[in-house]
Amino acid sequence: MAENVSGNGSGFLREVAHRIFAAEFKESNLQAKEGQDQYSPSYLITPTGAKCNRVFIVGTLTEKEDVGTDNEFWRGRIVDPTGAFFVNAGQYQPEAAQVLAKTTPPEFIAVIGKPTTYTTKEGNVLTSIRAESMQIVDVATRDRWVVDAAKHTMARLERLKGNEPDAVKAREHYSTDVESYRAMVQQALESVRAK
Amino acid sequence: MSDIAIKIEARFSEMGIKVQPDEIETRLDQLINKFKVPPEEARRNVINYFLKQHNIPRTEFFEKRETPQVKASEIKEDGKWVTLCAKVVQLWETNHESVSQVGLLGDESGTIKFTKWAKAALPQVEEGKSYLFKNVTTSEYQGQFSVKLNKTSEIVPIEDDIKVETLRVTASEIKEDGKWVTLRGKVVQLWETNHESVSQVGLLGDESGTVKFTKWAKAELPQVEEGKSYLFRNAITSEWQGQFSVKLNKTSEIIPINEDIEVGRSLVEYSGAIVDIQSGSGLIKRCPECNRALVKGACGEHGKVDGIYDLRVKAVMDDGEKVQDILLNRKVTEALVGITLEQAKDMATEALDQAVVLDVIKSKLVGRYFTVSGARLDRFILVNTIQQDTKPIDEEIIRLLGSAAPVAQEA
Repeated sequence: MAENVSGNGSGFLREVAHRIFAAEFKESNLQAKEGQDQYSPSYLITPTGAKCNRVFIVGTLTEKEDVGTDNEFWRGRIVDPTGAFFVNAGQYQPEAAQVLAKTTPPEFIAVIGKPTTYTTKEGNVLTSIRAESMQIVDVATRDRWVVDAAKHTMARLERLKGNEPDAVKAREHYSTDVESYRAMVQQALESVRAK
Repeated sequence: MSDIAIKIEARFSEMGIKVQPDEIETRLDQLINKFKVPPEEARRNVINYFLKQHNIPRTEFFEKRETPQVKASEIKEDGKWVTLCAKVVQLWETNHESVSQVGLLGDESGTIKFTKWAKAALPQVEEGKSYLFKNVTTSEYQGQFSVKLNKTSEIVPIEDDIKVETLRVTASEIKEDGKWVTLRGKVVQLWETNHESVSQVGLLGDESGTVKFTKWAKAELPQVEEGKSYLFRNAITSEWQGQFSVKLNKTSEIIPINEDIEVGRSLVEYSGAIVDIQSGSGLIKRCPECNRALVKGACGEHGKVDGIYDLRVKAVMDDGEKVQDILLNRKVTEALVGITLEQAKDMATEALDQAVVLDVIKSKLVGRYFTVSGARLDRFILVNTIQQDTKPIDEEIIRLLGSAAPVAQEA
């Protein structure tokens, strides 16, 4: 765990924000919980073996909608070179909700949030991000994020060959097709390459 | 072996007792050569045998032996009998009934811990007084030396006031917990104290680097000022989670010096995205007395006070592998966000809300990539420079595409 979190001296450990491409995040459905306590953190293990309690993504906000009934509950669709993320912000995420409310798509947006999953009646697992914070950013930041996410995904694909517990769990659960993820990374990088 | 025998005989004859050298030697020979007893143990056994025979108490035999007088810093061996002329620098709380007093002794060469056993039935020593400690034993635990005062030891008060000198170190040499040191340094920064037991806390620096210091309220030491240089005598080093600091207590001394110490800093660099701005950022008010940030207009120490405005940012950076807390002071914040403290005050007054400043800060920082450099302190980097990360990404793209290449060939 030491590599996943960082001490701040108060015994509280802040979770690292993982960089995940939309295509990989969409395929994630393996949940893990550490400890039995209701306050123990829960994680989403992705096909390349990222064990996320927090993610950091940057993409283009293309759609947004207030789907709340009594209170505002905003949902946004954020697109990266590989697919789309769904991001939510409700009354318990007032700052993020406010940003989503006032932003007119399309716009480059950065999101830091918690991965959440929802299982449909048919048994499909839908992933989304519950935003902790959200800010409008520029194209340079978005491109930099694509490269950052590519770097981290490649590193995870490399670790997937090894015996680290998260890598083993991911491999066993998803039978991850390493080559298709490599292709995804390559395509994402090509899309931001200077022409 | 015959050396030992001669010494034993000589010691006994000093006490007016005649023992046969042959008999000593025979006994020693049997123990050492036949029963493979170590010489020291054999010597002890033989002495005990003759003492018993002549009905002499053990203490009498050993007491009169003169042990070598040493300086505190010369104690580098376990299990030696020594005599020490030293001042009681500090007394600590004893944590076991078998210990009558425990604390720190010091002389011109340095300091050493002492333990006085309850069983030793020795007189009590007082803090700040000097004594001759005769026949104490040295002891070692995890590389730290101490002296033990037992039944054989003697404590003789002396008139001289011994000048205690502790090890002179530089900030970067502080790498061990629980060492008494003396260092000269400049007060680089004073921070808010977060507990009433702490009188001042901040950062000291010298040419070699910086180190955190804590001055206890109980120490009753003079206040130090930011930017001034001092000699800090008899501070104790401390370690917490791999970070070293010095504590100034009752035993410590702070002497202002007429010298402007050039502070060398070991700077660290960190690159990543800012993922959170923490509470207590933006336009804040500080206590005019202690510089502490006010919470709802009140200082934890001085209550309701007329605060002084300040601008700062406490942020969390994250590179996808680990997180790093950073601290931006007013100057750095003003330059980065493009709002001066005066403008921030105007903004807050206009909006009737200090939070507007924080909103602007968040919108300019969160979700963006930065490279910071500054001194590492506890969990923070005290940021000297911060720059939005703008180095070209093309090289990185080519490198990563190279490592993804096998796919292209197979496809």
